[in-house]
Amino acid sequence: MITCNGGKMTTAIDIRGVTKTYNPGSNRPVKALDNVSLAINDNEFFTLLGPSGCGKTTLLRLIAGFEQVSGGEIMLFDDEIENLEPNQRPVNTVFQHYALFPHMTVAANVAFGLERLKKPRSEIEATVERVLTLVKMKHLGDRRPNQLSGGQQQRVALARALAPSPKVLLLDEPLSALDLKLRQAMREELKQLQKETGITFVFVTHDQEEALAMSDRIAVMSDGEVQQIGGPTDIYEHPVNRFVADFIGDTNFLDCEIVSIRDDLVTCRIGRENLFEVENTGGHTVGDQVTLFLRPEKISLSALDTKNGPDTRPGKVANIVYLGNQTAYTVDMGDGIELVAQARPREDGKLPFAFGEQVAVGFSTRALRMLAQ
Amino acid sequence: MSDQEHALSAPNKGKKVLPVGHYRGLGAWTVFFFVFLYLPIVVLVFYSFNANRTVMSWGGFGIEWYLKAFENDGIQKAVWNTLIVATVSTIFSTAIATIGALVLARGGNFRGKTISLGLITLPLMVPEIVTAVAVLIFFSAIGMNWGLGNVIIAHITFCIPFAFMPIRARLEGMDTSYEQAARDLYASEWETFRFVTAPLLMPGIVAGAMLAFVISMDDFIITLMVGGAGSTTLPVYIYSMIRRGLTPEINAVCTVLLFVSVAIVTAYWVVSKKSQTDTVH
Repeated sequence: MITCNGGKMTTAIDIRGVTKTYNPGSNRPVKALDNVSLAINDNEFFTLLGPSGCGKTTLLRLIAGFEQVSGGEIMLFDDEIENLEPNQRPVNTVFQHYALFPHMTVAANVAFGLERLKKPRSEIEATVERVLTLVKMKHLGDRRPNQLSGGQQQRVALARALAPSPKVLLLDEPLSALDLKLRQAMREELKQLQKETGITFVFVTHDQEEALAMSDRIAVMSDGEVQQIGGPTDIYEHPVNRFVADFIGDTNFLDCEIVSIRDDLVTCRIGRENLFEVENTGGHTVGDQVTLFLRPEKISLSALDTKNGPDTRPGKVANIVYLGNQTAYTVDMGDGIELVAQARPREDGKLPFAFGEQVAVGFSTRALRMLAQ
Repeated sequence: MSDQEHALSAPNKGKKVLPVGHYRGLGAWTVFFFVFLYLPIVVLVFYSFNANRTVMSWGGFGIEWYLKAFENDGIQKAVWNTLIVATVSTIFSTAIATIGALVLARGGNFRGKTISLGLITLPLMVPEIVTAVAVLIFFSAIGMNWGLGNVIIAHITFCIPFAFMPIRARLEGMDTSYEQAARDLYASEWETFRFVTAPLLMPGIVAGAMLAFVISMDDFIITLMVGGAGSTTLPVYIYSMIRRGLTPEINAVCTVLLFVSVAIVTAYWVVSKKSQTDTVH
């Protein structure tokens, strides 16, 4: 999936210590990006993920050239681009609300970039036809943007940005304006399109599900800083801090104290009697306060009876949230601990446990992870 | 986007509005209001078709006063002057207003931006007689006497804010992402203006130009002050006709002027309506 160049990955975009401050020198300067460094590989589907205001869109706009960096460098392959005008940068953008030119036809929109690059007419026509076919919009080339549905406008915006064959395609939350079904379908198509074209995609989103489903690698951002960079499973299974663990998916956090350390296992305690064993990742001493996290889908609930194994513990159902394909149970474990667990519905569609019912809560030591502080 | 729009329009939809007929006497009041507003104009138009010599006694239907007005050399000259002044001052004031609106809406933040905006729209609030006297004193102080040229320069100055307002409104309502998209697609700043900003701005420019044209065409006080002999425009000529005695000829000329104004203002509304319903966010 990743282009190899003499056995080495090529870096498409190298962000080096980029800082962006709005209103510098005023009495209310706003630091949108603080010394951000990251490298995006060639031919990669790379996602910038974070809550609104985390700086992800600012970073994208700095790469596109709509904003000027306050400090640092942006390299596109081997060229330094942070001081170039947007029209001098061989990258193209798919805007959040598409920004299709309303006074031009679909075909004229797609041809716009090629015309500015002074390509010969025959080449422009061939390219427009090729990219419109690629996004399945060839039959609507004569339409105006306001005659298209949201999904169709999205495709035209993609075609327009792909037509000049950019070295990197920047996508600013392009799916956020679509309804759920269409959004899920477009995820697949975007991923497919990236593979077909071999162009590096830099995708900005606040939707963690979108990021996990499409990306080769994800940079999780918060407060103008990169929190973690990694593949979807890295980010989900091995978050480096509480923010990442909390932002990606649903999580139970257990704040506890280390009471004993063996070679491979650390035992932590909450309250008097709730003990949790977790893999020893090193660097801890007895008495340390640590945070464990446990994903709801890794907890199994069963009826409390004599067949429960030794690795289960009792709890009481404190809340039920029915979600259709699954049900989220909040289980009171005593000592102020509440765990959210997910249970699949029974085959007859009835809920497996009732409110207030005693249940056996089971999870393996390997499902518990200790967060770096 | 659609959620936002929905949220914005929701409170009005839910509000229960009493039908107008609920209020006793409102209908009669409304009729009185419109009669008060339009009766003089209706009477003016009606008597322009009077065959009689005197203005207020009806002598049968006729269009001879229109024919007479069209043959009147003084009126012809005044119409010609009016068209020259209105056209030239519309072109210049719209061009200046467009540049001003672009700088203020797209030029980013600069020192004196708020003051500039205030200074451009201030002439709307300055009493016209003050502007007229000021311009007159200015021209005589510098000894400038270009006849119609003086009138045109004066008209350009007071037409600028009228042309400016619809252009700026259009620009403010236009998302900058269109221009960013053009820049992103390898357009230089000039190409961005030529292929994207200017076409999208055109309804605003046309609306501004039409407003400026009507304002210039109807202006009386400033033209009376600044215009010397030979640079009489239609409103000033009509005034001089009244002083020589009322004839239905004046009614005829006023009716023509009225319908030209109404036609242009109607066109202005149509254009600005269209620019609102366009898909420019």
